[in-house]
Amino acid sequence: MIDLSALVAALHLLGNSWQPWLIVIPGILIGLIVHAVPGLTTSMALAICLPLIPYMDFLQALIFMTAMYAGAVYGVTLPAILLNVPGSASAVGTTFDGFPMARAGKHNEALGLALAASCFGQAVAYSLLLVLAGPIGAFALKLGPPEMLVLSIWGLTLIGSLRGRHLSRGLLAGVFGLLLGTVGLSARGAARGTFGADLLLDGIPLVPAIVGLFAAAELFNLVGRDYIVEDLTQRRVQAHRILAGAREAFRHPGVLLRGALLGSGVGIVPGGHAIANLLSYSQARRAAKDPEKFGTGDPRGILAAESANASSEGGSMATLLALGIPTGGATAVMLVAFSMHNITGGPSFMRDHTDIVYAVILSSLAQVLVLGVIGFAFTFVAGLVVKVRLRMLVPIILALAVIGSFELAHNIAGPLTLAAFAVIGWIMQKFDYPVSAAVIGLLLGRRTEGDMLRTFQMSGGHFDFVLSRPIAMAMLFLLVGSMLLPYLRLARTRVAEPERIIQ
Amino acid sequence: MSAAHTVIELAGRKITVDLPHLAFATAIAAWSTWFCWDSWHASPDIENLILIVPGTVAAVILYGFVAAGCFRLANGARTQEMSPREPLVAGLGVKIAGSMALLAAFAFAGPLIGFDVASFVYMLAMMAFLGERRITVLLLVSLVFCVAVIYSFNVFLATPLPLFFFSGYAS
Repeated sequence: MIDLSALVAALHLLGNSWQPWLIVIPGILIGLIVHAVPGLTTSMALAICLPLIPYMDFLQALIFMTAMYAGAVYGVTLPAILLNVPGSASAVGTTFDGFPMARAGKHNEALGLALAASCFGQAVAYSLLLVLAGPIGAFALKLGPPEMLVLSIWGLTLIGSLRGRHLSRGLLAGVFGLLLGTVGLSARGAARGTFGADLLLDGIPLVPAIVGLFAAAELFNLVGRDYIVEDLTQRRVQAHRILAGAREAFRHPGVLLRGALLGSGVGIVPGGHAIANLLSYSQARRAAKDPEKFGTGDPRGILAAESANASSEGGSMATLLALGIPTGGATAVMLVAFSMHNITGGPSFMRDHTDIVYAVILSSLAQVLVLGVIGFAFTFVAGLVVKVRLRMLVPIILALAVIGSFELAHNIAGPLTLAAFAVIGWIMQKFDYPVSAAVIGLLLGRRTEGDMLRTFQMSGGHFDFVLSRPIAMAMLFLLVGSMLLPYLRLARTRVAEPERIIQ
Repeated sequence: MSAAHTVIELAGRKITVDLPHLAFATAIAAWSTWFCWDSWHASPDIENLILIVPGTVAAVILYGFVAAGCFRLANGARTQEMSPREPLVAGLGVKIAGSMALLAAFAFAGPLIGFDVASFVYMLAMMAFLGERRITVLLLVSLVFCVAVIYSFNVFLATPLPLFFFSGYAS
């Protein structure tokens, strides 16, 4: 599967000159810094640097952009863990256990876990890409609306896992989010739930809504406190504890590997990058013998979400390189970089420039090591946020989030959405509704509706259509199996318990 | 049972009602129903309602369960199961409500009067509201935030922020 002559040529390209490597460190740093600001996205970071692309040769430009992408993938976890503010949909799963760990004074360990998972996920994804770039691209072409619908449903089943103490409230929050996600113009051009406001025709701005729901619930609750971590002795940022967190990650190789493989697979489909972390979190929770620990600061939650988030980057790159199709905002901006050099991504690019494709993959593997070092240093600096007084930190975070939400929506809808959802999120938390369930619904609402609609149109309304889609069927079986697994395990435990008592 | 629960008498029986929670759940159900009606009104095609109708039906059914949980017989065995919300610490409610109001004012005013002035005023007001009393810290942090963030956003990002100074939308 590996073209050895192209691989040697790629090594020659990378080893012949130090110039392609020159931009790796700035690239990773830009990605880290931009994404550590709530409201700013990977695609924004890449777009900011687009004017630099014509001044680089094509390989250098690609390495620069993948370096930024790698930095951003990890950078987004920092505010998610330290402030419960997921800068994008891809960090939502990380907040579930990351912030509880930070609140418990285990921010060092949580950041170390996230860094290790991020590096591991990227390494697995790019290793897979090196071997399977061609087949992955071909597989991506076989995934149509029915398969996407199964993926969306898979994501929605997480609502059941995040129900909290009250099943009905958790499900109501999820359905509420799902409906909110469909506000705006329908596929038929009908305006729904917009109150006649043009600003809502594109739907509710997602990231401002998510930041509002998450940030509000916690930041408003924090206004009466002095610091995120109350205990002075726990407030220290300690390198050895970050490293201990990183080491802890490798005590759960199954969670890491499953997350990385799932992320690589889901990352190849459009929009997959956003839900990979949720699917992986959901799977890890279902597979765990003690699922009740998830959501309370369990390291496995961070590992599952973060390894999948990081590895989905490799999946996205597979689709971009092999098919020339962007799967999200970041890879769309990368495609612009292709066109700036008059190069079109896709099968012909893979065939004619295999050496460059391999060079990008190999450099991305090397970037994992650089990310490990720079990410560690950056984590150390970012961790200092727990030392800032909340009466200063809360206004700074909220102001940044409001300004970032304006940049995302390009109009007043962003800031107003953030403020409105901030209040809704806080009220939901007070009445014991899981905010995360509403966020999952919000994230997947429009996507699920689109997939349902396309599947309906393809099938002509005949449900047996799904039987003619082997991949969708296999995914459905996997989904049902994964949902039944905890119950089967419970039944087995109940059968085994009396035996233990007798013994 | 917390102080937020109200006791009413119905047919000679005392019933405990969690009114604030009932109001919130009702608001969700009401919005969901209105949203479905609005979508139906916009276009009754299946393409338009494929997810909204089942979603709304689910929301209304779930609301039924949630609302039923808001009513319990007073002194009944299950009264203790009603959401035992922790009352807010004295003064915290005012701080949270004030923070929400300031955030809403900033979100509304920023795009209208300009983020430079709005963010400076918001930072100053919010820090003071949360207890910062040192004038130099208030002014310095607000000013540094305002200059550094607004300058960086406007220089690097594609959508310039609306500003009060430098003739409105800077480029």
